[in-house]
Amino acid sequence: MKSIAELQQLIKESEQIHIGGTSSELKKNIDMSTYSGVVEYYPEELVITIKAGTSIAQIEQILKKNNQALTFFTDNPEQTIGALYASAGADFADAVLGVQIINGKGELMNFGGQVMKNVAGYDVSRLLVGSKGQLALITQMSFKILPAAAALSHQKKPRPQQSTSALHMSLTQKLKQIFDPYGVFV
Amino acid sequence: MTSMSVSSQLSRALPKGSIICGSENTRAFECDGLSVYKQKPMAVALPTNIEQIKAVLKICRKTKTPIVTRGAGTGLSGGATPLEGCVVLGLSKMTRVVSIDAQSQLAVVEPGVRNLAISEAVAEYGLYYAPDPSSQIACTIGGNVAENSGGVHCLKYGLTVHNVEAIKMLTMDGEELILSRSDEGLGLLALMNGSEGLLGVITEITVKLTKKPALAKLVMAGFDTVRECAHAVADIIKAGIVPAGLEMMDKFAIEASEAFVHAGYPLDVEALLLCELDGEVELVEAELESALKILVGASTIKVSENEAERLLLWQGRKSSFPAVGRLSPDYYCMDGTIPKRHLAGVLEKINELSKHYQLRVANVFHAGDGNLHPLILYDAGVPGELEKTEAFGMDILKHCVSVGGSITGEHGVGIEKLDAMCVQYSVKELEVFHQIKAAFDPDSLLNPGKAVPELHRCAELGNMHVHHGELPHPELERF
Repeated sequence: MKSIAELQQLIKESEQIHIGGTSSELKKNIDMSTYSGVVEYYPEELVITIKAGTSIAQIEQILKKNNQALTFFTDNPEQTIGALYASAGADFADAVLGVQIINGKGELMNFGGQVMKNVAGYDVSRLLVGSKGQLALITQMSFKILPAAAALSHQKKPRPQQSTSALHMSLTQKLKQIFDPYGVFV
Repeated sequence: MTSMSVSSQLSRALPKGSIICGSENTRAFECDGLSVYKQKPMAVALPTNIEQIKAVLKICRKTKTPIVTRGAGTGLSGGATPLEGCVVLGLSKMTRVVSIDAQSQLAVVEPGVRNLAISEAVAEYGLYYAPDPSSQIACTIGGNVAENSGGVHCLKYGLTVHNVEAIKMLTMDGEELILSRSDEGLGLLALMNGSEGLLGVITEITVKLTKKPALAKLVMAGFDTVRECAHAVADIIKAGIVPAGLEMMDKFAIEASEAFVHAGYPLDVEALLLCELDGEVELVEAELESALKILVGASTIKVSENEAERLLLWQGRKSSFPAVGRLSPDYYCMDGTIPKRHLAGVLEKINELSKHYQLRVANVFHAGDGNLHPLILYDAGVPGELEKTEAFGMDILKHCVSVGGSITGEHGVGIEKLDAMCVQYSVKELEVFHQIKAAFDPDSLLNPGKAVPELHRCAELGNMHVHHGELPHPELERF
């Protein structure tokens, strides 16, 4: 998958589709691993914007050249940043500044940005962290990064996540409806 | 029963003295820190516990009365400006520090606890609450969460969202929702931070506490040009230093602050940089050495010798709003953010606009995180000058968005930046925001009309978002 337009088309044409993993005859699949690379990186901004299929190892290598690092814990260099985003929690979300997404209707949207501070609109770019690919396809994301020495102090191992209340789950369902009203992402 | 007025129902449900009604009595609540907009509420409720908040929610739900939740009313974007016929739900009496866990560096507090009061309550353990908006003496933690407030130390210590471990809130239905950083699934806790009182009423907050640094040093450097100062900011970051604070002021702001506070700022420079380094003694000394090497091109340089001097140098910066306020009948404070590499260019643009609109402007920046606070000086007594000032402000925000920034870094949208939201977001993105609001508050009773503009408003304004060359809002009629 090479372009945003192709990804949008694929989602529009699909009744049901799974993000990540491998395709099988039973399940249609979006493989994001070829949608990778750095979109923008200015070391003095302490911000990097990357495509979702970029592996953690690739990102770390790029940042290392400027003696910078990611501020969240990673233990699988092969994993893509998109896969980590989909399964992570609040310590990861702390570093997220913005996302580009395609919703279940195939519409491209941007939330947040490439700046450290941004309180315009609800914080959708952090809301979708941990959404397990069920609400939208995340195509690219921007992160706060830090000088390597300072980044270390932020990297905490993920805590065991607690299950949530019935109200929490009902809100999650309503939010799924907003981003994926036809239930395309499975 | 149903014929009883909302005020009477509230007075019956809450203890005596908790409900304020009548035009004269509610005047104190007619605006927040954005005082050009005023509206008296129907009533003000000042509950002291969660059961009383639930009672207010129940009455407002039944009577379809809008609620505007309010902390200390120090917000700068009109988030707490009352709506016609609304009940202001003031949480300023809920000031209990519920518990402090020094070991885990957490404190549980009610929403009306003042920001600085948290730090005071935990000082004996060598801890403090890191986010420090300039209004921290007065502003409440509940308001901080609602606005995702910042301050001068965000670059190193994060915004409110980074320093909140958990919250308890009530939905408009009166149901309690507990959100924590350990929750599985979607980031609802992050969503609540900065939601401007539109999604729920926050009733309790667990904040993270930070260890007081062993040493803090402030470096003050003056520059002959703004551009050199902006370069110094980039060079400090590139050198691997993460300053606790990195602030910039332009000549006008320096002069105003110096005249007000006498902090010892140089008056013969075009731009001033304040760079605070904190942490373990050895680290601070090493960072200080590298910072001074980077700042070698500065025309003046000074390092704080002691705490009193460090605080005095900060006081000049922290007092810059009132300092500028002394020079003009009124001033309007902007809050755009930009990628730092555009700092000098954006400042030049602001100066051009200042000439165009014939309005003076003083600039203070949280330079480390690209957050600008241009202060536009005007006189509301001159007919048309407020409108001219708002147009100037809008031009600044449009420019921030055009270089990849945002219309608000820490003050929020409220009622003030509804039009500017049309510049930053597409109609589809704004629709998502409206739908999120509806998921939490389907009858739209919590702070309705704030934070997210109605879509027709954006079309009528013609201030339209252009993204990737798409025609904005093609589905809406133009007038």
